[in-house]
Amino acid sequence: MEPRLANTWRLTVNEKKFIETALQSDLRIDGRRPFEYRKISIKFGREDGSTEVQLGQTHVMGFVTAQLVQPYKDRPNEGTLSIFTEFSPMADPSFEPGRPGEAAVELGRVIDRGLRESRAVDMESLCVISGKSVWSVRVDLHILDNGGNLIDGANIAALAALMTFRRPECSLGGEDGQEVIVHPPEVREPLPLIIHHLPIAVTFAFFSNETSVVIDPTHYEEAVMGGRMTATLNANNDICAIQKAGGEGVLQSVIMQCLRIAGQRAHDITTKIKNAVESYNTERALRKIKRHSNSVSLDVCDADVDVVSERSKLIPGKSIADQSMDIEGETKSSKQGQTSRIDGDAKNFIGGPSSWDPYAGGVNLDSLKASLASRGTSTPSRKEKYSRGENMSCEADPVEPPEDNSLASSPIEAAKTPLGTNGEKTLKDAVKSKNKRKKKASSAGGS
Amino acid sequence: MEIDRVDGRTANQLRPLACSRNILNRAHGSASWSQGDTKVLAAVYGPKAGTKKNENPEKACIEVIWKPKTGQIGKPEKEYEMIVKRTLQSICVLTINPNTTTSVIVQVVNDDGSLLPCAINAACAALVDAGIPLKHLAVAICCCLADSGCVLLDPTKLEEQKTKAFAYLVFPNLTLSILPEGSLKVEGEPVEQAIITSVTQGAMSVDDYLRCLERGRAASAKMSAFLRRSLPLQNPSDSSKAG
Repeated sequence: MEPRLANTWRLTVNEKKFIETALQSDLRIDGRRPFEYRKISIKFGREDGSTEVQLGQTHVMGFVTAQLVQPYKDRPNEGTLSIFTEFSPMADPSFEPGRPGEAAVELGRVIDRGLRESRAVDMESLCVISGKSVWSVRVDLHILDNGGNLIDGANIAALAALMTFRRPECSLGGEDGQEVIVHPPEVREPLPLIIHHLPIAVTFAFFSNETSVVIDPTHYEEAVMGGRMTATLNANNDICAIQKAGGEGVLQSVIMQCLRIAGQRAHDITTKIKNAVESYNTERALRKIKRHSNSVSLDVCDADVDVVSERSKLIPGKSIADQSMDIEGETKSSKQGQTSRIDGDAKNFIGGPSSWDPYAGGVNLDSLKASLASRGTSTPSRKEKYSRGENMSCEADPVEPPEDNSLASSPIEAAKTPLGTNGEKTLKDAVKSKNKRKKKASSAGGS
Repeated sequence: MEIDRVDGRTANQLRPLACSRNILNRAHGSASWSQGDTKVLAAVYGPKAGTKKNENPEKACIEVIWKPKTGQIGKPEKEYEMIVKRTLQSICVLTINPNTTTSVIVQVVNDDGSLLPCAINAACAALVDAGIPLKHLAVAICCCLADSGCVLLDPTKLEEQKTKAFAYLVFPNLTLSILPEGSLKVEGEPVEQAIITSVTQGAMSVDDYLRCLERGRAASAKMSAFLRRSLPLQNPSDSSKAG
């Protein structure tokens, strides 16, 4: 159906003039300097290859999947990479469902060019049987919130997703050695993609006042700007792609200045992405370490720092090494929800305003332990059960040995549920707790 | 008889619930709802002028757009859209803004079983966040029938695939009243016993279905309590969404 008038959002003349006038004094309406980027936050989902990137108010999600297909005739040795962008109607009232508009197509093409032409992802390693079977990698980018500068945000999401994606390992078998056997992740560890370099897109906006250039425009600035340029570069200062589709004419000197600045920004952003991926990989590795029944430490995902440290006192042996790594992993990247919300994963998508990250404010570890002491061992029981749902991690027994738990709970004042008993009602139900295992108050039907 | 579920829950235990509101900046209302690993994000754009061609212009209209995680939109997505739309139509006050359309966009972030109930819960929370007038809230739950005849609540994807039948049920979450006579009654029967939506898959006997209903209703009481706690009134922060 044709776009309805009520969907278009227009900036008033006053607002436009305000933005332009402020820019003449190098002031932007959100308080940034002209060449300052917004804050980037990269979070990862539960599965490999899913990320959520926040660039200021812009939210983008990226998912990477792969499947075996026949290769193109003219490239029998190479896998394929395809990028699908979805401008979800939730991002902007003017995005309509259905066929992608020109902005969506342009975004898809710019990101595609940056990745494909610069050979950032190694395609030849994706070949299984030449001419018959190759991996086809598909990147889905969902734009959830349009706060401006979608190209950069989507690009970062695509790169982070590609770097954390793991494809299943496969081997040749069958009678003639031509059958491809795909091994499930439990049997053989999936492999990451080979990525040579990270092409980062940096967008500039030009305004009708000739010398006004800003980096990373917000959607207000995008509504006012006269032209835009996206430069895709990597950390080695190689230009992978430049896109300037029409708009205001700009002096050459301005373009060169922009490219120089883009080089520096690309370097910063590359470091950020790499750090985020590093910490995700560490967590993932820790999750995969099989734990035995007496070292009942938790998923790395959740910060129950005090419980882990309790256990490390009680349980000698090799598990101590695991747990100290555990703590490090947790302090680096975990979140704690003290409000009435669950804290499922460090990598989950708990929304912005209501999440509470103690480590952001530099909370003292001791005070955290003290406040957490009242939570007790109930949280590990939940996390245990939680983690058991995943095929890969903690090989703990279904019913935890009770002596472990009684040892652990004695130092803790408010005693909570012993592990492994599901049917009890405990104090934590009365407490407005974040993790709520709902229990049937009356098993009226009887089970 | 004890059922051994993979993640150690009993037949009557739900996965950990989490709900957060006001996540997106441009949307008028947004919420994310997760049950265990299943996570859904919903956004609402408030009443826009005009209705679609086949809709009744004397009432407000709700439009649901379902976005899967990957892949093309096909028939299953259209079916989900229709179910969510009809469910939401029964809880919204449709007579307040005639000839307008409210859009609800549902984005699947991760699917680990019980996806449609999670989406309905997220959509309700998003409607609350947007301030759309509602008669009451809805809580949705999935019940599946294990081979032994036991009813399992809130199955994961593996459990859903192995089970022979399951049902998605949506119950109303009505206002509490201190006096028992104060609770709403329709034709003599208390409205808490109403069912808004029921979608089943697989074959189950009538008795099994009635047992599912009963378990689902009891669990929905717990979820209603959770909803009441986690959707408190929040002061709207700085900028208005309409701009």
